[in-house]
Amino acid sequence: MSIKRREVLAGSAAVGAVALTSGLAAPAIAQNEPIKIGYLPALTGPSSSTGIGINRGTLMGVEMINASGGVNGRKIELIVRDTQSDPTKAVNAVAELTQRQKVAVIWGPLNSGEALAATPLIARDKVPMLHPCWVDSLINVQKYPMAFRNAPTNQQIGAAANHYVVDVLKLKKVAVISDTTGYGTASVEAYVPMLKAKGAEVVYSGHVDAANPDLKPELLRMRNAGAQAIMPWSVNAGFLSRILNTRGNMEWDVPVVGQTTLGSGQTKALLEKPEYWNKVYSNNFKKVCFGKDGKLPPAAEEFVARLRKEKVEMGDTLLWWIALGWDGSRMMAETFKAAGSKAGDIVGYWNKLKAWPGVYGTITFTPEQHNGFPDDEVVMCEVNSLKDGAFNLAPGYSS
Amino acid sequence: MLESILSYGLAIGAVYALIGITYNVMFTASRVFSFTAGMLGMVGGVLGAWFITRLGLPVIVGFVLVLACGALIGVVTEIVTVRPVLKGIEQHLYVLSTLAFALMVQQFVAIEWGTEAQPFPRLLPIEDGWVDQQFVLPILACILTVVGLEVLYRHTLIGRAFRAIAEDSYAARALGLPEQRLRTASFALAGMIGTLAGFTGAMMLLAYFGNQAILSFYGFVPVALGGMGSHRGAVVGGLALGLFQQAANFLVGGIFAAVAVFVVFIIVLLLRPEGLAGAATARRV
Repeated sequence: MSIKRREVLAGSAAVGAVALTSGLAAPAIAQNEPIKIGYLPALTGPSSSTGIGINRGTLMGVEMINASGGVNGRKIELIVRDTQSDPTKAVNAVAELTQRQKVAVIWGPLNSGEALAATPLIARDKVPMLHPCWVDSLINVQKYPMAFRNAPTNQQIGAAANHYVVDVLKLKKVAVISDTTGYGTASVEAYVPMLKAKGAEVVYSGHVDAANPDLKPELLRMRNAGAQAIMPWSVNAGFLSRILNTRGNMEWDVPVVGQTTLGSGQTKALLEKPEYWNKVYSNNFKKVCFGKDGKLPPAAEEFVARLRKEKVEMGDTLLWWIALGWDGSRMMAETFKAAGSKAGDIVGYWNKLKAWPGVYGTITFTPEQHNGFPDDEVVMCEVNSLKDGAFNLAPGYSS
Repeated sequence: MLESILSYGLAIGAVYALIGITYNVMFTASRVFSFTAGMLGMVGGVLGAWFITRLGLPVIVGFVLVLACGALIGVVTEIVTVRPVLKGIEQHLYVLSTLAFALMVQQFVAIEWGTEAQPFPRLLPIEDGWVDQQFVLPILACILTVVGLEVLYRHTLIGRAFRAIAEDSYAARALGLPEQRLRTASFALAGMIGTLAGFTGAMMLLAYFGNQAILSFYGFVPVALGGMGSHRGAVVGGLALGLFQQAANFLVGGIFAAVAVFVVFIIVLLLRPEGLAGAATARRV
């Protein structure tokens, strides 16, 4: 029997009319529609190393959730827009995700520079947002009531390093140095008063152009001022490696304590000698560090086993980045399951989230506090202990 | 402190001087101030690290390939950014065309090579004793370049042709000199000198796409200080800049060192606009 085009159209129109008048078919379709997550990683460009690491955990999490049947029968659909480490691209992507794609929630941006540009727009479009960026001003319950952070703030990062130098290493004379970027100068301005408040004496404080190839004059100034620890604040591996190389060439046995980039592979590659990485301690996170017994906490150990099983590459990235992506996708899926995918319900659920047990961190939100990461899980690690993307806790911490 | 100021100041000054000479070589043959000199320096470091570290080629092979690539980039610069502009009326558009080309190459390097600084290998298989090769090689390269250019310009036919074009291109053309081919050759030569600066300086500066900006600027200072077109002036200006910059690093430190360099630069130009080694030229009115 042949079917004519006109009969098909007529039949479709009849079905549509029934659906519209009865109101039965529309909810059935909505219940099977995937839940859309707008996802803004920087997968290319100068700040992409973080995004690439977090992306592995995010993808693994979403694939696992969908493979096990999704959330209440609905699949999760990641709408990925690579920001290319460019705030302008992030802003354009936000407009598409919130207004055209109508996503339920936005995961990211994953870098502070893009988040600073994108957050006001996401707030304007009233879409819930979860991000891991450290810049303090990105969370403000009055300005951005739907924005939540599942990572530490810059204040927490600086406080952990200051605590390690002053309270754990018991060093009182500190040199604080940064490059001339906004991040570097803002960090020095924020952390120097915090150090002084802890009773430390800041014997050197300065900003240096990251392109300056010779930092010996600065380190001589620090040494002559009696510095017992150097705290560099920069994400520039070249700048950090020059500090470490100069310290090594001066045979100055002073600890260097600071930002996570101190422990990056790029910094390591630029060292003149491997031993110049000794006595260097960078920020890290307690739940993804090896303890004194040489083991990861059970949740992280189980996670690493899963990564190996799924053949996720760990050697060229950091465990905490992958764990952060995994936690983000899991937290969103659990939220959809418990509260649904409407914006108000998501925000209401997150506002009451208490001690959510992530691999990377234990997250707690309240209506007044959308910074979810606990202070005591921001720690320092020994950078020369890197193995499978994770580090040993620095001396002085208990497991 | 004095030892560090001398060794480091002279070495980085030699790199600046070579970039200054690169500007000059392109300028004298074409009267075009090509803003690609810093880019050539950056490319010299990146290509050196790529050939020697990544591809595992012997140092000498890597060195020759870097110079060859520099010459090629110089020729492309002349064909793509200078030749079409010189045919037009608005000749000063070369500022835009050469700058745009330099930025395009930098972005290409950033995409293909990466935006993080990467290590540059030790070039000589020797232990650093009382002399450190990262300081000696740029100074040596600068001396050899200046001597080589003197020999080329004063004792070879092609060198004399370069000078003829530089002094009066119309008269040189009237005498039958192939101006366009000589200009292309001078851009190739400049490409080699620029990449030589980056290659020998990369042990200090690392293989980093961001070096383009500092080499473009600090390489221009010797030209302005020494007088446009004067190689000797560029060498004196470059070495003086390196020594002063390093002394300022020690004496005032931090970002104030850069401020001190610019203050002196502006004062010198106010007192001697034609540069330290330049001479005021008469103009028929």
